[in-house]
Amino acid sequence: MDDTKRYERLLNRYRDGDISRRTFLTALGAAGVVAGVTGGPMGMLARKAHAATPEQVRFDGWGGVVSEAFEKYAFAPYTEKTGIDVVSGTFGGADEYIARVKAGQPGEFNLAHLSGVFDYARYHGLELTSELNEDNIPNLKNVIPSLIEPLRKITGGTLSAVPYDYGTTGIAYNRKYISDEEAKAKGAKLMVDEAYKGKIGGWGEWKTRIWYGALQSDQDPNNIKDIDAVWDMIRSHRDLALKYWSSGAELMSLLAEEEIYVTEGWSGRIKALQDQGHDIGYHDPAGGLGWQECIFVLRGSPMAACEELLNFMLEPEVAIAVAEGQSYPPALDPNKVELGKIIPTLPAFDPSGTLSSLSFFDPAYWNENEADWSKTFSRVQRGY
Amino acid sequence: MKIMSGWSLIRIATILVYLFLFAPVAVVILLAFNANQFGGFPIEGFSLRWFDALWNNDAIVRAFKTSLLLGLLTSAVSTTLGTLAALAMVRYDFPGKRTISTLLVAPILIPEVVLAVALLLFLQFLSMPKSFGLLLMGHVVFTLPFVVLVVQARLVSIRRDVEEAAMSLGATPIQTFFEITLPLMLPAVMAGMLFSFTISFDDITGTLFWKPGGVETVPTQIFAMLRNSISPEINALGAVMVIFTIALPLVAASVSRVLSMRKIRASNRTNNRANNSSEQTA
Amino acid sequence: MAADIAGERRAPWVLLSPSLATVGLLLIIPMLFIVVYSFWLRTATGADQVGFYLDNWIEVLGDRFYRDILFQTFAIAFYTTVICAFVGYIPAYFVANTPMKSKAFLLLMLMLPFWISYIIRTMSWINILGTSGALNTLFLSIGIIDEPIQMLYNQTTVVLGLVHYLLPFMILNVYVSLDGIDKNLTEAAQSLGCTGWQAFREVTLPLSMPGLAAGSLLCFVLAAGTYITPIVLGGPRDAMFANLVFEAIVTQLNWPLGSALSLVLLALLGVLVVIYTRYLGVDQIAKSFK
Repeated sequence: MDDTKRYERLLNRYRDGDISRRTFLTALGAAGVVAGVTGGPMGMLARKAHAATPEQVRFDGWGGVVSEAFEKYAFAPYTEKTGIDVVSGTFGGADEYIARVKAGQPGEFNLAHLSGVFDYARYHGLELTSELNEDNIPNLKNVIPSLIEPLRKITGGTLSAVPYDYGTTGIAYNRKYISDEEAKAKGAKLMVDEAYKGKIGGWGEWKTRIWYGALQSDQDPNNIKDIDAVWDMIRSHRDLALKYWSSGAELMSLLAEEEIYVTEGWSGRIKALQDQGHDIGYHDPAGGLGWQECIFVLRGSPMAACEELLNFMLEPEVAIAVAEGQSYPPALDPNKVELGKIIPTLPAFDPSGTLSSLSFFDPAYWNENEADWSKTFSRVQRGY
Repeated sequence: MKIMSGWSLIRIATILVYLFLFAPVAVVILLAFNANQFGGFPIEGFSLRWFDALWNNDAIVRAFKTSLLLGLLTSAVSTTLGTLAALAMVRYDFPGKRTISTLLVAPILIPEVVLAVALLLFLQFLSMPKSFGLLLMGHVVFTLPFVVLVVQARLVSIRRDVEEAAMSLGATPIQTFFEITLPLMLPAVMAGMLFSFTISFDDITGTLFWKPGGVETVPTQIFAMLRNSISPEINALGAVMVIFTIALPLVAASVSRVLSMRKIRASNRTNNRANNSSEQTA
Repeated sequence: MAADIAGERRAPWVLLSPSLATVGLLLIIPMLFIVVYSFWLRTATGADQVGFYLDNWIEVLGDRFYRDILFQTFAIAFYTTVICAFVGYIPAYFVANTPMKSKAFLLLMLMLPFWISYIIRTMSWINILGTSGALNTLFLSIGIIDEPIQMLYNQTTVVLGLVHYLLPFMILNVYVSLDGIDKNLTEAAQSLGCTGWQAFREVTLPLSMPGLAAGSLLCFVLAAGTYITPIVLGGPRDAMFANLVFEAIVTQLNWPLGSALSLVLLALLGVLVVIYTRYLGVDQIAKSFK
């Protein structure tokens, strides 16, 4: 499409929008409600997004530094090259986003920065996965293969997302009160140590609680034999804990203000605390919990446009800027791409590019138990 | 004497309540001037860098403008609808009044996340896309009960006979409304506007679900930052808003005081002159 | 005359129609979807099984877990409302009786905390009540305590957070009622020999009931429906009913169960509103003015 044509279409769109806005204003009251719901200019834009040659794609992700980095390094050059606008939105969490997608309409959402393999399987279960044409994403060859494989396994060989960054959920402790040796010796059991009663924290998410409950009861989290022992561990942790945190911001302030001395924590957040001069130690226990985030493309999206955007986002410059912003290493293979000076200093970074020392949620296993476990956790948390 | 001491007790209690309300505000303002990125006391070093960063942060400034616009529109629509409804509820008797009274309060009885999903399911059913209009009307729905409740509570204490007196003196119902009823219920209408603006401005859950692509409000921006830590520009934004809300009325008040002082002085002067002249004649 | 009566009959509906249309279209019809949903089932993959199943209702109504949390929720909402009523009445009285000029300013100041986003506001209590927060630092420095006290993350802090959030609503509602009271009435009562306190109890307090009732209803209902405050200010166990609804809908993606849960909450709070309209509501209070 040449530029003059684009201009004309934009102008028409604007006029359309203007008219419906005026109708909306004059018909306030009952009629206004109807007009409001049917949509002003925004509605027009969303409907256009369904067209075969898109004028825009929708991206949803985390706010703050992450979205600033995407905006600057990926979206702006992408729009300049292709003429396709990136409409970006934010969410507060993966669960909230999936609920919005479920309540939304086909084609409303396109790409999203989602958490790893478990959610990938969830989207597959809801029949929301798409099929990427990998030839359109040459930068995919730079991505760590061991991050891609689990995704392929779920969608039968094809991909609906590309891995983007990874991190760990390890044990964070205040070194003023807990020595490195103690943390290493006790591992996950540090968080059920009576000595720190009232100074323990934890992420109030069922998967992480069960994972650590399994480690604390000496079981393989991806093959739990005695689930009751896990619930008991979760109960003792609950009674010793001061607080279940629910966001990185909260985790950081709890540790920084010394409300708690030990909790599990996200590697990137602990790194950010350390960078600000807080004496917080970080230790990935044996069978340490790794996770990855991916850029997911939802079914019903304009595939070619999304693939091209994915390729932009996988450009080393973009991936590194995002990684430095959030302190999680990019999914790019350090053997193939020069990652600069800062990335190798990030916790959880694996210079070998194999990630063989980490364990991940086995999507098949955890999805199978999801309905039951998430509900039971909600009760156990409340004292049952 | 006894009443005086009672009044000063009330004054002290009021000050304490206001201090309690302002405590978190004070924390946020202090942190906005903190040189460190990560908040905490004691504050290490005073700095204005977050205000500078705020000024240059397009995303937050844009979100702030959206929030402001959304809040103002919500309060305008909601207060109009709510005041009319309250008038009907208090001034008239009609069948089904109690049911309607419950219906008007219903939006705050439902957890917001349910209302949010329900409305989206309805849109899905109609295959209508999201829009700013929808977001606005969503905010109107759950601010409406606040307006209805507060205006009703005021209206019942406005005596009907005042209105009837006006009408018997030849005023039309519309005149009566604007000349008598509206001024009398104005505090409640203002309170309703304040309610609906602040609730809309502060809303998270509904906005998260209803916002169309590319639209962000301040709360949704903050929510999306929670995973990686909230940037201190948000504290600076809070500080700017608080300072403005305190400063504007104070400035306005002192300006009007200066003006009225001048007027009083001028009228005193004429009065004095008149007095003097009358004394002289006596 | 006939036209007048017809007009009189039509008038309330004309006034109500915009509100009713809005509530009907954006609340009643969407909630019908929720009613339908509550009879569906969530399958293992997270998709919904369409049909007519009573499973969710049996679970919600039969399970002690939900009943306990519901009871806890109402208890917290009740404490919050009572505290708000007592603590909020005094400043409302002060504002209503203060010279006109500072009135508007004082009311505006009430809303000041809302300019700081709810999450930030709630999280900032850590800086006030935390072990290294302002209060503990103050107490330590003047020597009242030797060790920081653990004040945060229990039911009390949840109530504290709720009171902080809801107090302005209570104050404004009471103020609006108090401000409408004719000052001559209290003066008359006093000139008839009442003490200040008696005049307040016999005249001012009853006349301010509409605002107090409206404010209490708002506080109770909003407290019962809150979910962020317990997450941020509560301990691991502290939860309110809305948290369960939120978890069912967002975390577990179990919309059928979430629908049933929310309808239970709606029904119970609805009963409360019906009681309010019948015994404390506008009609009843309006009668006492006649």
